Amino acid sequence: MKRWLPVLPLSAALIFPLLKVSPYLLHIATLIFIWAFIATAWSYMGRFGLVSLGHGAFIGIGAYTAGLMFNHLALSPWVGMLLGGGLAALLALLVGWACFRFGVMGDYFALLTLALGEIVSLLLVAFREQTGGSLGFTLKRVGTSWLYLQFEDKTHFYYVALGFLVGALLLWRWIDRSKMQKALRAIGEDEVAAATLGVTTIHYKLRVTMISAFVAAMGGVLYAQYVTYLNPHTLAGVGPSLDIAFKAILGGMFSLWGPTVGTGIIVLLEEYIRVNYGAKYIGLSQIAYGIALVSLIIFLPKGIYGSLEEKLRRKRVLPKT
Amino acid sequence: MEILLLNALANGILLGGVLALLAFGLNLIFGVVKVIHMAYGQCVMLGMYLIYTLRSIYEVPLLAASAVAVAAMAIWGALLHLLVIRPLLGVERLNQLLALAGLIIVFENLAHVIWGADLRGVRVDLPVVSLGNLFLKTSNLLAFLGALAVLGILYFVLQRTYVGLAIRAIAQDTECARLMGIDPGRIYLLTLTIGGALTGLIAAFFSPIYSVHPHFGGSFTLMAFIIVVLGGMGNLAGGFLGAFIIGVVTSVAAVFTSTEVAEILALVIFILVVLVRPQGLLGARGAR
Repeated sequence: MKRWLPVLPLSAALIFPLLKVSPYLLHIATLIFIWAFIATAWSYMGRFGLVSLGHGAFIGIGAYTAGLMFNHLALSPWVGMLLGGGLAALLALLVGWACFRFGVMGDYFALLTLALGEIVSLLLVAFREQTGGSLGFTLKRVGTSWLYLQFEDKTHFYYVALGFLVGALLLWRWIDRSKMQKALRAIGEDEVAAATLGVTTIHYKLRVTMISAFVAAMGGVLYAQYVTYLNPHTLAGVGPSLDIAFKAILGGMFSLWGPTVGTGIIVLLEEYIRVNYGAKYIGLSQIAYGIALVSLIIFLPKGIYGSLEEKLRRKRVLPKT
Repeated sequence: MEILLLNALANGILLGGVLALLAFGLNLIFGVVKVIHMAYGQCVMLGMYLIYTLRSIYEVPLLAASAVAVAAMAIWGALLHLLVIRPLLGVERLNQLLALAGLIIVFENLAHVIWGADLRGVRVDLPVVSLGNLFLKTSNLLAFLGALAVLGILYFVLQRTYVGLAIRAIAQDTECARLMGIDPGRIYLLTLTIGGALTGLIAAFFSPIYSVHPHFGGSFTLMAFIIVVLGGMGNLAGGFLGAFIIGVVTSVAAVFTSTEVAEILALVIFILVVLVRPQGLLGARGAR
């Protein structure tokens, strides 16, 4: 029974565009899918105690690599996605290795990655000849093209983003079933004990960090393709980095659906306030979300969906899957 | 060339003075309450908006506006302690950090909703002081001297008064201090109040120099972190030294390359220190 539960939201998401909904609703849903994809990628490592506040670095590298390659060399973003992902994974390998080698963990790891995200953002601004600096740049329009991942009709991108999100969730399950999960959970609980039991801790931490960076970079490309505009302040730096982490934490980074639920809540709240109170008060939703977040961390450290799931599980006393 | 370098050095030292004050506040809070105040620079930003509002809209004299800002930010710091930091005291370190980072979003958007995204500045016309080939802005010089004076007073309070002794005792060993009859709760509240008043003071020093915008605090919070980590978390003397190093490095780098490169340089120093010498320049081994 429980195995088939995810079919429900998935089929609902598949049918949704067929209900002749407005392009606006499709737009909101697409945004939720893309950011949920990125937040899920963030949680791959976040849930094992590797809380990064620098994922903006990875989405920025992905988006700018693919975007520049497309604009100047007419390279397909599908290839750009792999290139950008590769570069992001390489950076993750470099920084991750340094961190794990020198034993940087917990809040120091968070602060170090925060600096990393800001460095990438500053680099994107500094190379203004190529990147357009703080003003960013727009992608060339090619109409509807699967090869170049641009669509005039919102429905296409909706399904593309949904497909990516499902892929990220499946990857989560794959990590869950792999040996990596057991090793990482052991490391998360007690690193020294795990190491003495023969778990090559650095190896596993690096692997999950690189996967997370690669997938996040793909999400950056996806977002850039969707809005066809790249800006260092929306794709890298402190702001987006914190946003990604908070979406996942708000929903609950320890549960499969947590990051998706968190992203949905935040995007819907933002849109609701923007539509009802105008763009001037867009900050209001952010204030509400910030306060919700702070109180959540104080009162529900497992996140909204995570706490809900735990409560349900306790009530039904399900056998361990 | 040499003149340029000389001016960059001098301005770096002046900037270092104010940064030292910023780092002092962050360090004091970390040393006593053991919490990393992620939104410290954002508090400075709110203080600057307060001064701007008082000065430009209600036409309060700058000095009076600054005094009000110091008092208001002290209360703000105390409120933050009671509403956010105190409930977080028993929580994991990482969660404390994330919750306080959440405050960044709250403060920046608060400023955005109230004052909008435009640059807001207090116009002050002060002469430029010239010493031979050295040109110094009076506002920078005043900020530097003011910051040093405040640091001196704080040092005196910490070293020579009973309250200062209590604060230092709590910073060294909370449990032992409690046994000596010091109430940590009250010292925490006092520390956050002093820390808040400092953000008001820094806002007063910054107001004639910089225009404020909602994301103004971000770069200064990061800068303060860099300094605090460079000097060793909770190490006040290290923070003082670190402030001048970072002040000089960024201002010299900014003159010869660009402000972005200067900031990148500071961040790279930060990362290297966290990796290789996490206890900081003057910290004791095993501080982490």
